[in-house]
Formats: sequence, C-alpha cells, structure tokens
Amino acid sequence: MSLRDLALEGTERAINTVIGLDPDAAERLAALHGKVIRIELSGTPINLFVVPGHDGRLQLIGGFEGEPDATLTGSPFDLLRASDTEEGVSQLFAGRVRIGGDIRLAERFSQILAGLDIDWEEQLAQLIGDIPAHELGRTARKARAEAQRLGESGRETLSDYLTEESKLLPHRFEIESFLNDVDALRDDLERLDARIALLEARKRGDDA
Amino acid sequence: MSDPESSTHFGYRKVDVEEKAGLVRGVFDSVASRYDLMNDLMSFGVHRLWKRFALELAGVRPRQRVLDLASGTGDLADRFADLVGPDGLVLMTDINASMLEVGRDRMINRGHAGNMQFAQVDAESLPFPDDTFDLVTIAFGLRNVTDKQRALEAMYRALKPGGRALVLEFSKPRNRPLEKLYDLYSFKVLPQMGRWVADDAESYRYLAESIRMHPDQETLRGMMEQAGFERCDVHNLTGGIVAVHRGFKF
Repeated sequence: MSLRDLALEGTERAINTVIGLDPDAAERLAALHGKVIRIELSGTPINLFVVPGHDGRLQLIGGFEGEPDATLTGSPFDLLRASDTEEGVSQLFAGRVRIGGDIRLAERFSQILAGLDIDWEEQLAQLIGDIPAHELGRTARKARAEAQRLGESGRETLSDYLTEESKLLPHRFEIESFLNDVDALRDDLERLDARIALLEARKRGDDA
Repeated sequence: MSDPESSTHFGYRKVDVEEKAGLVRGVFDSVASRYDLMNDLMSFGVHRLWKRFALELAGVRPRQRVLDLASGTGDLADRFADLVGPDGLVLMTDINASMLEVGRDRMINRGHAGNMQFAQVDAESLPFPDDTFDLVTIAFGLRNVTDKQRALEAMYRALKPGGRALVLEFSKPRNRPLEKLYDLYSFKVLPQMGRWVADDAESYRYLAESIRMHPDQETLRGMMEQAGFERCDVHNLTGGIVAVHRGFKF
C-alpha cells in the first residue's frame, strides 16, 4: 500500500464522478465492460490498467496479471494532447501515442475519454507529482494558445493551402479513406494469418 | 465451559461453540444498516485502500469465477464483478441474512446483473463442488468464523488448481508505539463511536476484542499452510493493523 494507491483511488474517483454526470459516455464505456486497457506513461514508472465496469465507471489498477486487450503508450505530454478532442485523433495518427493490441478498442476508448470534461493535468499531477504535471500542462496549453492565435480564418486558409494547393498534407477524406484501407489491409492480414494457421494445422494432420 | 473442545472466543469472553454463531449474528444484525458509514469512520476511510491493495493481489481476470465470503456490503464483490466482465461470475455470500440483504440491495442498486449471484453461506461448510473457483476471498470475516481452520480447508477445496485465496483481516501491529496507540483507539474511541453512530457500543467493543483474539500474522500463515495452501505470503498494511494473507492451490 502506498501513495500510488492513494493517487489511483483519488484519480479513479474524480474520473468516475465525471462519467457519472455523462450518461452517454457511461453507456459507451459500459459497452467495453470486461476489456482491459493498459496505459504506459513512457519516461515514468507508471503503468496502469483501466477496466470499464458494467455501468461505465472505470477501475484504475496498478497491476494486472493477464494480457491487456489494448495498450496505449506515450509520454505524459502526448497523452495529455491526445486527450484534447480537437487534437486527439491527429495525435494518435501522428504516431506519438502508440497503440498495441486491439486497435479499434484503443481508439474507441480514447475517443470516449477525450469527450469527457476532465482536468487531466490535475489527475496526472496526482500520479506523478505537481510540478512536472504543471509544466506539461503549461506546454500543452501554450501549444494550444499558439494554434488559436493563428486565428480561425488564418488557420482555415493555412489548412486549405496545405491540403488543396501545395498538397503537403492529405485532405480529411484522404485520411479517412487511407485509414479504411489500413483497416481493410489489417483484416486481410488477419484472415491470411488464420488461413495459414489452418493450412499448417491440416498439413501436420496429413503428415501424422 | 472449561472443555477446550466445545468452547471458543467471542471477543474476550469464552462461549460454547454452538453459541458463537448466534452471538456474531446478533452483532451484525445490529450494525448492518450503518455498516458502510462505520467502516469509513472507524478506519478514516483507509479501508478502501486496504481493499484496493487486496484487489491487486487477487489478480482477477476476465471470465474468472470468484467466491467472496463474508461479503458484507460488497465492496470487494462490486469491484470483482466489473473485473471478471460479463462472462465471469462473482458469488457474493454472507452467513448473516440481514448483512447479505443489505449487500444484495446495494449490488442491485448499482446495476449488477448477469455476472453476480447471491447466497447465504457458512464459510466453514461451503456448499460447492471441489475445484470450482479461481479465487476465494474473505475480507474482515475470518475473525468471526467459529472454526477458522475448517473454513480455510473449505476454501482450499473450493478452489480450482491454480487458484488462490485471499484473507484480508485485522492483525497485529508490528511496533510497540503503534500498538499502544491502536489499543487506546480500539478500546476507548471505537465503542464511543459505535454508541454515537450505530447506537450500539457493545458490538464495537466485540469488534475490538475479536481483533485481539484473532491469530497474528505468523499463526494465520501456518494455519493456511496446514489447510494445504502453497506459496503463502503475508502483506502488512498500515503497520500491521491489517494484513493480507495469500495462498495458492496447485
């Protein structure tokens, strides 16, 4: 029993209070009941497991003896940014937050969390200590303010320029289509895997 | 009364073996409705951390079957039900009907359905086939069982090979100053608190006394080994005021 347990208890309670006020998010999390998601904060010794309950409330536990269904790995800073609804998805795809295991589960889970009105900086502070968390939060806020300073119109012009004119960045539709392709490819690969396993098993059966 | 075979402890009093279960029932009938509130007050909320620690040692995984003995108001069962997922099973039990009723109502109010069942069960004679559960737990309950050795043996039998048992229970503080402070608290403050909050000082005096009569860390570990458990370990919490004993069946 340690300060870590105390922090986990506090963080868990704070998150569940917010979830309790958001029936929609609770319902979506409840659909993940029984799944285990591991969150690795790289650069810190923190490794925690999140288990959504039957009513969407989350259990945060410091140790889990089985294999988690999905893993999210990132520096606290990247995970903080990924918890931002606007930036979140792009963070996940920029490869700053690594996803392992059931990718769809990890995506769904982080999208639901991103929609919650939780002061992640505060929660992170409980886990890793106040000062580093405040620094992280400050940097994240600065980055966000910088983006806002460009102004709505400016940002739109810039994004139009980058996507339509210079073709430096892909268009949103292109990204979506690309992601669909990736999903299809992954499914194909899994099917192929299963087929190979089947054939191998059959071959072994013939040999025997 | 003097025959050691037929007498046991009820707090500091010696009572007949047949009498103890009834007396314990009286205590819990009396405190059931205020049980959660009293737990928070008495332990300054620390009991939540004790249970959280036990939870990690339990290593519960999805699809497992868990037997929670002396569930009380179901703090552990509540968490287990979420950890085993919709395909697992948690059996919430208590020997005391009023306690079980309070616990069951609480679980139903929390929306648990499908993966949770309830049964009034005596830990000494478990009505389950051998090799049934992945985990058997008893949190703050073994103390009240008349024949503890028999209960541990029953727990061992009910476990599947590879399963484990956890006993979370008050134990013996590991240093003298803490022990002194703890004695003062248990014998002066606790009964007073019991009088104010649950209007029942006697039950809380029993609580303090029964804790002193409960086997200490080493004795209980020995009892678990005698029941057949392997790789038994003990984890002291809050200076040994509480200890988690864990044993495996292989």
